[in-house]
Amino acid sequence: MERHQNRETRTPRNNVVVHRRRKSKSYRLSYRSGLGAADSRLGWSPALTARRLNTSRKAAGISNIAERVDPGQLALLVKTEWQLSYVTPLHQFRHTQLKSYARQLSAFIAAGKQQGLAVEVEGLQTTFRVSFSLVQGMTQSDEDAESVLVQIHSKRLFARQDEPQKPVWSGWLTCINGNPDYLRALPKDFVCLPLFGCSGADGLSALVKSWFQQSFDCCFGLLEISHTSLQWLMALWTNCHAESGIQHLKMIWTLPAAPPLQVTYTVDPEDAWELWSSVRKGKGGGGGGEEEEEAGENYIDIEEVTSFMQGLKSHFYRHFRLDLSAGSLNQVSTALGSAKYSGRMKVPSTRELCQMLSVFALLIFVNVLFFFFSDLQQPIHDHHPDAADRVRPPQNAHLIERIQTLMPPENTIAAFIWQKLLQLVLVFIRNEAKHYLSLIFNIK
Amino acid sequence: MDDSAKRLLQRLMRRIPTPTLRSALEKWGRLTTEQQKSMDFTQSKWALTERLLGICEENELAVKQLTDLEMIHVIDNPDQGMWYAFQLMDPEDDAKSVDLTQFKEQFKSHLRELVRNVSIKMKKHTDEAVWIRIAWGDTFSRPNHLKPTYIVHYLQTPYVFVTSITSKQKPLLSQALVLSTRYQAIKDANLSGRKLTAIRDLLMKKYQQVFPTKYPIPPPENNQTISTFVLLFIDQHIEKEQAELAANRLQMACEAFGGGMLPQLQSAVYKLETKFRDHSNKTMTEREEPFRCVVKFTSTNLLESFRHCASSGIASTPVTPLLSCIPLKGRNYFLITDNGPGPSSQRGQPQV
Repeated sequence: MERHQNRETRTPRNNVVVHRRRKSKSYRLSYRSGLGAADSRLGWSPALTARRLNTSRKAAGISNIAERVDPGQLALLVKTEWQLSYVTPLHQFRHTQLKSYARQLSAFIAAGKQQGLAVEVEGLQTTFRVSFSLVQGMTQSDEDAESVLVQIHSKRLFARQDEPQKPVWSGWLTCINGNPDYLRALPKDFVCLPLFGCSGADGLSALVKSWFQQSFDCCFGLLEISHTSLQWLMALWTNCHAESGIQHLKMIWTLPAAPPLQVTYTVDPEDAWELWSSVRKGKGGGGGGEEEEEAGENYIDIEEVTSFMQGLKSHFYRHFRLDLSAGSLNQVSTALGSAKYSGRMKVPSTRELCQMLSVFALLIFVNVLFFFFSDLQQPIHDHHPDAADRVRPPQNAHLIERIQTLMPPENTIAAFIWQKLLQLVLVFIRNEAKHYLSLIFNIK
Repeated sequence: MDDSAKRLLQRLMRRIPTPTLRSALEKWGRLTTEQQKSMDFTQSKWALTERLLGICEENELAVKQLTDLEMIHVIDNPDQGMWYAFQLMDPEDDAKSVDLTQFKEQFKSHLRELVRNVSIKMKKHTDEAVWIRIAWGDTFSRPNHLKPTYIVHYLQTPYVFVTSITSKQKPLLSQALVLSTRYQAIKDANLSGRKLTAIRDLLMKKYQQVFPTKYPIPPPENNQTISTFVLLFIDQHIEKEQAELAANRLQMACEAFGGGMLPQLQSAVYKLETKFRDHSNKTMTEREEPFRCVVKFTSTNLLESFRHCASSGIASTPVTPLLSCIPLKGRNYFLITDNGPGPSSQRGQPQV
């Protein structure tokens, strides 16, 4: 079990779905309903499984995103390490009022500094500037809201007069490939930008988050990338080695010795690829029927991922007689990106950026959905303790009501959640290249 | 004072933290008592630098005296920078009888033959260590005092520790060392770390060693303060058995890594190029090429972590020779390849 502090920061257990794009440039995901399908690889247990999902729409490829977004803005997003959080839908957030928001946030930060809240923040001088900008085009479907980039510019501590202000803190809110049913179910006033990434001083991040919470009645939670998700990312990146070299596969483990021991296990990319291929070939054909032709190629099973991991661990054990399972996997990185347990991610180029973002956006969707589907009243009340004092009822209550109307009767709630949570994200790296992306789910 | 002396002093002041500055200046002994009193150590570093600059100009101190101060600081704080260990090989007959003055003269003359314009300073420290500071120059330029190399050699032992040396300077230094110590060759000991004291203790085995005994440590007595209420539910046999197993593990861990305080090594790197062998994965097992990977262990005190892993069961005992090699051979860089027949055919290959 992953470590979880409280409900708001919990990410449910993982369930991964992998899809691969076909040569015909249109993807078709076949959806298998029914929990009890005997031939499904669905395990109704903490074990993970692969599924295919059928949607008959043709969505724009993610490769198009890179073409649609201003390259200057994209360049700001890559090559930086972002701390990820999830955000609940924002109430009365208007994309047209970004300038006014910038002024409000600026005043909020100045007030915070006066009160001494951001005193420890380095690099933030009295003359700082906040900017909200729209990142147009970073969406997958029509229902996705446009992304917003927030930056705080300031001069360095001992800068000369004529030196320009540089961004000392950056953050962005985005929604890529959101669940269309969920998005349509949102009440009119709400905007869903579930993925929040920030980079910069922690004091500033806390200030910005609290401003958002006050202004838009949302709540933030830390997005922890669980151990299983990291394993999936590792397997997926290794899978991409044939198309875009990963250059190395690096894992960082922490063993609970006194003092703690950190193990950095770097595998040569060719050898990692061969191990991964051997694990995949070794698996027999999947379930019967029409998916046999695709079973071996398109879909990655959790068993393949665990075998891959087990192979690496046993090689390690053979030499050092140290069991890596006694420790925890903290970070996985390749040339295609890096992800840490604490929810930090970094992507080296724009191509992988969109993939990673959509994966994490989906992670959020599950998280947010789950948050609202579970025992709703108490957490909401906890989060808005002064709700009774307000003239209006808390906005989230509206959201809850609306979502509750979508919920099926109690006895099939599990089925409903299961169906609602299964999604698939297609990722395209290059025009004709096949690419894998797995959807990381958490299910409890 | 000329520019280079000023720059050297400024660099020194940036490097030496204020708490250690006072003692360093006292040991240096170049300041008169009034000057020493006039230095107000509660001021900022910048103010102190200015004051010291003034004092040095009064006393007409030059680069030569300033390097003394630097050497004093480095000798008292050796645990900074990256130190690399070297070992001298194949001693000649009179290697053991090389004494301090002979070594000093020989080293200086050999190095000056190899490099023109080199500034050498040698100092003997209390614990049989000879500290050498070298500022390198060449035919056309004067010695660069801003990037000196420090070398520590323990007479009567074949060990040399070096910091801040470039690949161009290394062969010159090796040649001079080999000739002056009367050995035939010098090789990289594959040991490096931030703390000189740690790698020195490791290499020269200056820590408590535990040897296998016929009479192992008896298991610790049951804690008498455990209430009888709890004892009713704990099977005393199980507890005794577990205690014996734990004692065994502890004994083996201490035999492998040492007892008591261990030298503070920070990292160990293993470059593995062995074949992948796993019964459950036939494809990989039949593969001819080795499985290449690099494993790096890091910790604030690496040997302590390993010992804890072994005694708590995270690492299976008996401790694998790969890990126990670190204190045994005194190295922390290994290249492991399949060598020779047999399943456990992993031997460390020295990387020269």
